[in-house]
Amino acid sequence: MGVNTKIVDIQNLSFSYKKHSVLRNINASFNEKKMTVVLGRNGSGKSTLLRLMAGLLKGQEKNIFYKEKSLDSLSLKERAKLLGFMSQHHKAVFPFTVYEVVLTGRVGHLNWTPSQHDVKMALQAIERTGISHLKDRYYTELSGGEQQLVMIARVLAQQPQILLLDEPTANLDLKHTVMVMDILDDLCKDGLTVIMALHDINLAARYASDLMMLKNGEICAFGQKEIITEENLEMLYDIKVKIIRNVEQLYVALPGSGK
Amino acid sequence: MKKRTKTLFVLYLTPIPVIIISLCIGPSTIFSFKEALYFLFQYAIGQTPDTPESAMIKTILFDVRLPRVLLAFLVGASLSVSGSGLQAIFRNPLVSPYILGLSSGAAFGAALALAWGFMHIQLSAFLFGLLAVAISYTMAIRNKSVSIVSLILSGIIVGGIFTALLTIVQFFSDPFKLQSIVHWTMGNLHNAGWQALKTTYTPLVLGIIILFIYRWKLNVLSLGDDEARTSGMNPEIGKIIILIAATMASSAAVSVAGIIGLYGLIVPHMVRMMVGPDNKTAIPANILFGGTFLLIIDNFSRTLAAFEIPIGIFTILLGAPFFLYLMKKTKIGWE
Repeated sequence: MGVNTKIVDIQNLSFSYKKHSVLRNINASFNEKKMTVVLGRNGSGKSTLLRLMAGLLKGQEKNIFYKEKSLDSLSLKERAKLLGFMSQHHKAVFPFTVYEVVLTGRVGHLNWTPSQHDVKMALQAIERTGISHLKDRYYTELSGGEQQLVMIARVLAQQPQILLLDEPTANLDLKHTVMVMDILDDLCKDGLTVIMALHDINLAARYASDLMMLKNGEICAFGQKEIITEENLEMLYDIKVKIIRNVEQLYVALPGSGK
Repeated sequence: MKKRTKTLFVLYLTPIPVIIISLCIGPSTIFSFKEALYFLFQYAIGQTPDTPESAMIKTILFDVRLPRVLLAFLVGASLSVSGSGLQAIFRNPLVSPYILGLSSGAAFGAALALAWGFMHIQLSAFLFGLLAVAISYTMAIRNKSVSIVSLILSGIIVGGIFTALLTIVQFFSDPFKLQSIVHWTMGNLHNAGWQALKTTYTPLVLGIIILFIYRWKLNVLSLGDDEARTSGMNPEIGKIIILIAATMASSAAVSVAGIIGLYGLIVPHMVRMMVGPDNKTAIPANILFGGTFLLIIDNFSRTLAAFEIPIGIFTILLGAPFFLYLMKKTKIGWE
């Protein structure tokens, strides 16, 4: 395995919306060039954690470190070159073309208008996500899954070192799910760090190097695949599960109703 | 795509001939359109004849018509470009430069000045327009941030207050003053001369330039705050700059031309239907088409009848049918 370099370090992070506490005393380090999946029930704090790491929620920037620099010491442009973020829901109003949407990912690299280089990067990202055939279509007329692919292309056009993704496969069918996960896997091999929230444990088990389990705003398990155990999952989701292992793959099955 | 390039080509080429034609038409019966055009040609090649007739044509063309033509162009351009910019930052295609109470504030300011003459009409309209937007904005601030819905709501409410105040002023004005207030609110350019142009071109041109510089970044802003911020652009700063530029330009436009109804709402849509929603091309197109179209409308309003028909009426009577035609014909899918 070798020694992993840590790229993100979170120290004593707590967060609450008004009086409602969402995250409590989070301490965690993320491995560089690996895929880390954050698991947890709805409302467990996954999205909040990702939004805090992306600098979208204020007040905790001093507790989040990227390559030993705290988030609040980085300008927005510096952040954009370091980390890209994709939210769970995105709603477009104006009927921009796919290409125009992807190109906006370049804003951190330019002053006022995109250059030839920016255009090239946008087109490369479109190709990498396999949506070249959608390039001139209106974003607003695409299906939810296609829009998701466009937003992935947009964040790739940004060329960050770390991708923070909130359920990137939420709207995708099986084929596109596997396609997106394969792309993300390739990106990790190329040196990117991917940190994402997922609901599909099987997908997490197949692709992730590291897993973080969040329950009620606290980390209850953080490690490699061996933390995917029946006990951990039952504790995490409050539901009975059965794990089936064959030679190289592990499957999580749901026997019975969850009661 | 090819069709759009052709449309753009036409949009870029029309302003100059329209400006020249506009200079040559007018209610004057002393010389004809042809004579005016011939004079311009002579002037361009530096061969103006030294006759009293040519001196008179020169005065009418350059001291009466030229400032009005330029002002009509600038007013049209700034209303359209402001509307387009505001629609982008509000992420709402129903927004116009008047959304934050600007027109009601300006109308009240103008009415105050017309009724009691305490201040120059234009200045009073400009200041009250700005005041209305400032109140709307301040009222919408909550926890140091401004939500778009509360901003639009407070804009409508503040606009309502100023409309009520305007009604009070109208109620207490004598019929003669009341007529000039009503005339002002219908929008017209008949006071446009070099003096009016001198006092308003700075905010008009400055606002247009700022929006032009931000043209591509409007795309980023219109995708949403989170998307802008995480890809390296501060959405709050961007939005406040656009808001200030648009308010400054359209307040100046309203102060000099009155309330030109619907213009800042429908022209951005027409442009979007012609060249697409990408603001990098739509903003320059708004400047050129918005300017040219108002110039054409103003030509109608000053030549069609013996008296001047308020331009605000024409923008609706000419603009709205054209808009409806484009809306029927173009396939741009709003959700």
